[in-house]
Amino acid sequence: MIEVRNLIKTFEGRGQVVRAVDDVSTQVAKGEVVVIIGPSGSGKSTFLRCLNGLEEFNDGQVIIDGIDLTGSKTNLNAVRREVGMVFQHFNLFPHKTVLENVTLAQRVVRKRGPTEANEKAMNLLTKVGIAEKANEYPSRLSGGQQQRVAIARALAMDPKVMLFDEPTSALDPEMVGEVLDVMKQLAREGMTMAVVTHEMGFAREVADRVMFMDAGRILEDAPPARFFTAPKEPRAQAFLKQVL
Amino acid sequence: MPLKRRTAQRPWQGLLAVILLGLAASLWYATQRIHYEWRWERVPQYFAYRAEVAQDAPVPGQVSALTAEGRFNRIVITPEGGGQPVAVMAEKAQVKVGDAVAENDTVGVNFEWRVGPLAQGLWVTIWISFVSGFIGLAIGLITGLCRISKNPTLRGLAIIYIELIRGTPLLVQIFIFYFFIGTVLNLDRIVAGVGALALFVGAYTAEIIRAGIQSIAKGQTEAARSLGMNATQTMIHIVLPQAFKRVLPPLAGQFISLIKDSSLVSVIAITDLTKSGREIITSSFATFEIWFTVALLYLLVTAVLSQLLFWLERRFARSD
Ligand SMILES: Nc1ncnc2c1ncn2[C@@H]1O[C@H](COP(=O)(O)OP(=O)(O)OP(=O)(O)O)[C@@H](O)[C@H]1O
Ligand SMILES: [Mg+2]
Repeated sequence: MIEVRNLIKTFEGRGQVVRAVDDVSTQVAKGEVVVIIGPSGSGKSTFLRCLNGLEEFNDGQVIIDGIDLTGSKTNLNAVRREVGMVFQHFNLFPHKTVLENVTLAQRVVRKRGPTEANEKAMNLLTKVGIAEKANEYPSRLSGGQQQRVAIARALAMDPKVMLFDEPTSALDPEMVGEVLDVMKQLAREGMTMAVVTHEMGFAREVADRVMFMDAGRILEDAPPARFFTAPKEPRAQAFLKQVL
Repeated sequence: MPLKRRTAQRPWQGLLAVILLGLAASLWYATQRIHYEWRWERVPQYFAYRAEVAQDAPVPGQVSALTAEGRFNRIVITPEGGGQPVAVMAEKAQVKVGDAVAENDTVGVNFEWRVGPLAQGLWVTIWISFVSGFIGLAIGLITGLCRISKNPTLRGLAIIYIELIRGTPLLVQIFIFYFFIGTVLNLDRIVAGVGALALFVGAYTAEIIRAGIQSIAKGQTEAARSLGMNATQTMIHIVLPQAFKRVLPPLAGQFISLIKDSSLVSVIAITDLTKSGREIITSSFATFEIWFTVALLYLLVTAVLSQLLFWLERRFARSD
């Protein structure tokens, strides 16, 4: 479903070049849940953002469901419809109600009629447990509620892949659970997911594979059972010691 | 102990009143010294007045009867060579029974309410400001978008336009627009005036809109793009609505300035409020009264407008 070949992304700032993603190659199969962990600044967000072309990369290939992002005939907007993304800071549209947040892209991108879009939105809002807030503005919602709306908004496009960039990092501890529950359910339903998170419990329980990134490279890629008990890389060992 | 010590309000409000009264008194004293005679009673007629409309005799002849009918007087004229008498209605008759009248002689007058020059000037000021404000908003929106565009040509054009307008006085722009562009393109003076004002606000509006767009968090654009919306859809549905809400106060300020700045078009002989005031003074000699009235009218328009925009802002604040 996702194929990455020799992906390189550099940032140039104040005279020095940062290799945020440094020659990464990997694959994610359909229905697989991959959790990406690693220290701050290791390039996890940048890597994730390259997967839906939000970040223009310097070299390499990203192929989503058979479509090469860098292909000369590729319409990036068409690919992005198929790839949902959930951000650390929710990024809900503050001038739209919860319902409108979920229907907007359905209507302008998928060209669905209002009835169909509303019905789809209400179903998804019910699924993430927040249907009763449909007509509120996002600013009236708690962080956990906002993040669940953001997930519903991404799901409304019927994506084939979902990307999560630290979806619970900006939440108060008591709200982390409600968001993780929605993500777990999604994983059970067979969604292909790439999740950057610091929630090791989630990784252990849900992930098919755990990737450890450092300095722009994937140093370790293993099933959670093996990764958490016997990491091979010394840097992964050190990292785990810190967070566990 | 209260955390914040409350300043006693009364004495300071008293002082304010004293200062204002003092200012009024010195104004009165100053006009006394130059022996200025206030004639406020002359002002209202310049808003609206009753014009006399002459009623003419349709045929030459003699006034044979004069009867009152409600507000009107019926003036009956018997034609010279005999024939059917003709009646003329007039609010005020200016002939007596037995008077001989020639054809088209005025036999009486009617009174009609007419709009005075001050009201007319006010109207011109208002519509010129609104029209140029709207055009300026459109220019500003387009220029603001060009200003942040990735295309160097569009960006360069926008920057040059903005700098040219912001770096020169409006008065000079109006002259150039009227005498140069206006002559070349054979423009009407109103078109030239509105054009100059619109270009002027356009440049300032562009900068306001650019700042507004750039103040919208990058995450908003990213969220929209990640849903598959293209750049235009993102701009229309996500960025501009939020930016517009944010720039409403500075935009309102700009528009209120425009109403005041529009007084400069009076230099190319557009009869706006300021020009009307100047024209009235040459005939009425009530210099101070007219200028005070003109100032008050500008104040009235800008005050109503800022109240309106305040209300609009409150409505937009619903989603906060
Ligand atoms: N827009 C940018 N401009 C310049 N440098 C950037 C930019 N975005 C990221 N970087 C740099 O790229 C590297 C990787 O950043 P990235 O945000 O991907 O890390 P991360 O693993 O997501 O970290 P965190 O856990 O703190 O979110 C860092 O060194 C960062 O400073
Ligand atoms: Mg990050």
